Amino acid sequence: MSKKTSQKIAFFIFRLLGLLVVGILVWILGFIVYNGIGVISWEFLTSAPSEGMTSGGIFPAIVGTLCLVAGSIVFAFPLGVMSGIYMNEYAGNGKLVRFIRIMTNNLGGIPSIVFGLFGMALFVNAFKFGDSIIAGSLTLGLLILPLIIRTTEEALKAIPDSFRTGSLALGATRLQTVARIILPMAFPNIVTGLILSIGRVSGETAPILFTVAAYFLPKLPTGIFDQVMALPYHLYVIATSGTDIEASRPVAYGSALTLIAIVLLMNMLAGILRKCFGKKIK
Amino acid sequence: MKRAFFIFIAILGGVSNVCAQKIKGSDTMLPLSQKEAESFMKANPKAVVTVTGGGSGTGISALVEGTADIAQLSRKIKFDEKNRLREDGKTVKEIVAAYDALAVTVHSSNKVGKLTREQLEGIFTGKIKNWKELGGDDMKIIPYSRETSSGTYEFFKENVMKNKNYVSGIMSMPATGAIIQSVSQTKGAIGYVGLAYVNRSVKALSVSYDGGKTFVEPSIANAKNGTYPVVRPLYYYYETKSEEKVKPFINYVLSDEGQKIVAETGFITVK
Amino acid sequence: MKALRRFAEHLVEGLLALSGSVTSLAILLIVIFLFKEASGLFGSPAIEKGYVLCVHSTNSTDVLNPYQIKRIFDSETANWNELGGKDMEISLFRFDDIFSLYSDEELGEDYSLLPEKLGETISQNPAILAFIPEKYAPAENPSVKILKIPEISFSDIFGGKEWFPTATPAPQFGILPLIAGTLWVSLFAILIALPLGMGVAIYLSELSNERTRKILKPTIELLAGIPSVVYGFFGLAVLVPLIQRTLNLPVGETAFAGSLILAIMALPTIITVAEDAMRNTPKAMREASLALGATHWQTIYRVVVPYAASGITAAVVLGTGRAVGETMAVLMVTGNAAVMPHSLFEPVRTIPATIAAELGEAPGGGVHYQALFVLGCVLFVITMAVSISAEIISKRNRGKQA
Repeated sequence: MSKKTSQKIAFFIFRLLGLLVVGILVWILGFIVYNGIGVISWEFLTSAPSEGMTSGGIFPAIVGTLCLVAGSIVFAFPLGVMSGIYMNEYAGNGKLVRFIRIMTNNLGGIPSIVFGLFGMALFVNAFKFGDSIIAGSLTLGLLILPLIIRTTEEALKAIPDSFRTGSLALGATRLQTVARIILPMAFPNIVTGLILSIGRVSGETAPILFTVAAYFLPKLPTGIFDQVMALPYHLYVIATSGTDIEASRPVAYGSALTLIAIVLLMNMLAGILRKCFGKKIK
Repeated sequence: MKRAFFIFIAILGGVSNVCAQKIKGSDTMLPLSQKEAESFMKANPKAVVTVTGGGSGTGISALVEGTADIAQLSRKIKFDEKNRLREDGKTVKEIVAAYDALAVTVHSSNKVGKLTREQLEGIFTGKIKNWKELGGDDMKIIPYSRETSSGTYEFFKENVMKNKNYVSGIMSMPATGAIIQSVSQTKGAIGYVGLAYVNRSVKALSVSYDGGKTFVEPSIANAKNGTYPVVRPLYYYYETKSEEKVKPFINYVLSDEGQKIVAETGFITVK
Repeated sequence: MKALRRFAEHLVEGLLALSGSVTSLAILLIVIFLFKEASGLFGSPAIEKGYVLCVHSTNSTDVLNPYQIKRIFDSETANWNELGGKDMEISLFRFDDIFSLYSDEELGEDYSLLPEKLGETISQNPAILAFIPEKYAPAENPSVKILKIPEISFSDIFGGKEWFPTATPAPQFGILPLIAGTLWVSLFAILIALPLGMGVAIYLSELSNERTRKILKPTIELLAGIPSVVYGFFGLAVLVPLIQRTLNLPVGETAFAGSLILAIMALPTIITVAEDAMRNTPKAMREASLALGATHWQTIYRVVVPYAASGITAAVVLGTGRAVGETMAVLMVTGNAAVMPHSLFEPVRTIPATIAAELGEAPGGGVHYQALFVLGCVLFVITMAVSISAEIISKRNRGKQA
């Protein structure tokens, strides 16, 4: 076989593989959109489940997921951004920072179910929060912390050092430099991290199984010590339990579509933001 | 004075209504409690009832820890569970909310239509491996079970398997709905589910408890007249202290309306 | 004023440093809590807490190990002579049986007569093996012997092949089948994902024009964004029946279904990391290869891929890490049977799926709960090892580039 033919064959296969990956995505998304789009309606999104969760809507689950998103962001975003600032602007490049960076990476590599175990042991049992929004939010917050730290660091790194030296040369302190010059410039990119983590939090099931999720709770939460339903857990529940799985399939498709829509919308938003502001800095 | 009295009543009413009740425990009872809670809340717009699963054992633990007001159990409370409650100075009341018959289901194309208890024991302990041994096609038997420590798992183990353990390669499903789903898709499958879950996509077997003399078909009528042997009560347990708080809901479940829901969900009414 | 400002600066710096340490702190806490809860399992009695096993005093057996106890109560072992005792059929007595022999009144107020009645029952039956609460054990009765119960040992857990966490009276916590199942599913997921991912990565970094790249890259990122429960639902509703039908298998919930789903989920990680590594190949090396007369394809597999090898290895390691820890999707499609895996087309049970399915049902603080934390520790150690080796590999990579 000549060099040219083998190249042709190899390249043909690679193109095919590229198509295959797109095909898989289209298959999965298509399957859920095709089956779910008919279910989605204003009523589906704004009413509580009824008839043993075979009809009605998913409103409480959406609200629950929003609560968890808000709770985990309130906890993790400031902490993550501060941590990122410390590592990039203050800590230099010593052994300590390397260690912290490795730890952050490792935290990001821990499976979500281990976060669930830990959240249950610490927040639910040791802190006596019980199954509650706060326990779930803290657990999810820990989960997204590495993501926020990493994006913050990247955002800060993208800002040329000349801005820092310039500001310092003008007599500003380090804090002033960070707060007035660096942060405002890096902010759009930091926000992408925030949006990405919203997507991540909305989709996670394993960490909330034992820390917050309720099987059925149509009433909306009134405080941070309440349990809530959550979209991913709701999907899991209606996909596997209930007396009549076939009858609840439409609701499952609808929930899956809503969930995917939220998550993918967040990811796309982050992508667009990154593109726009990435250009601006350069 | 009169007005103050009314306000007092209103506040009292408000408080006792607003009280959130948490029901926790058996996954089998989830659809029942969920529907009961749904219509109870419709009748009492101020009430809040949370329903969570986890298994019967979890329900009792939650009662001990005070994280639930009502524990739903698909088996009777165990002696040491009662002891644990007593050590905490808690006494519980037991309410039978409904009965549940466990049906053994197979794929709808399966030729086998009836089995004895001994055969069932053989299947689920792994001694009988092929349908041909039971008069069916030459096909591997694939037994499906619930997750360990669900009340259904334990009840089936006690009642049908006489306390022997399941074969270690058994498929264990996180929920009963998943068992039905899998049994309806898998030709050689056999699985046990509450009668409420049986639908047209699977075939329910007749069962004999007297060595094959009489086979009884699982149905609500047969469960009610006591001829179908694999029947268990479904319980609500609550602390005597919180009686006032949970009574409206319990009463609702036991009322005609509540029992109508029991029947609708496919369980057997108490009366 | 200046002093105040300096103080504020220091305060903020301190705060920032504190938040910088938060991830390390979190890992530390996770380690402490996981291992603290898990350690309780070792040294716990091998039968249910607060219970004892009693035999007749004429019985020569003194000690039973957990596995023997389970076999006896499963009626696998039916005669005392199989355990080195006399030739007599083992007669099992469970505590609840006493209530069918005596009414509550006969047992006295607060069960005060219970030990006495239990003693009577045991002394009447020389072949008995009774499983009763320690509190009511008739210790004074001369014809009753309480068996010594061994503690759950390291080898019971890490060497055991049976996972029966709720078997009474002796739960079995052999986690070998779960570890094997996890590695089995992940291994095949990577074997499926690696060639696919490599192909796509090569296509992206070497062949595609800017426009296709701009479409393909976000597409792959979208694939990474889909929540795992949605993958699980897709697997349950589409893949499992499909696999069962096309391969004509007795069951559709198999390791293969899990591997396929995991492969799809690991693809984005592998593609992104591998592509980055390939793009980093210096232009000079490529041009040198082409100048020597090699075709584009030869340049790719003789120069670019070897150069990016460590980056690709890192991709594989990271992908494995994701696969090992994945919970919901696997739980929904693999059938969860706790057996040592023999083939791809049988159900398996993984560690994350076990934790997710059982933790909600395990009463807090009990041995089952602790056993699940042991599983959590194992998972933690595996993923830590994965992260650290990925770190080392990519560091070597950086070293090479410098």
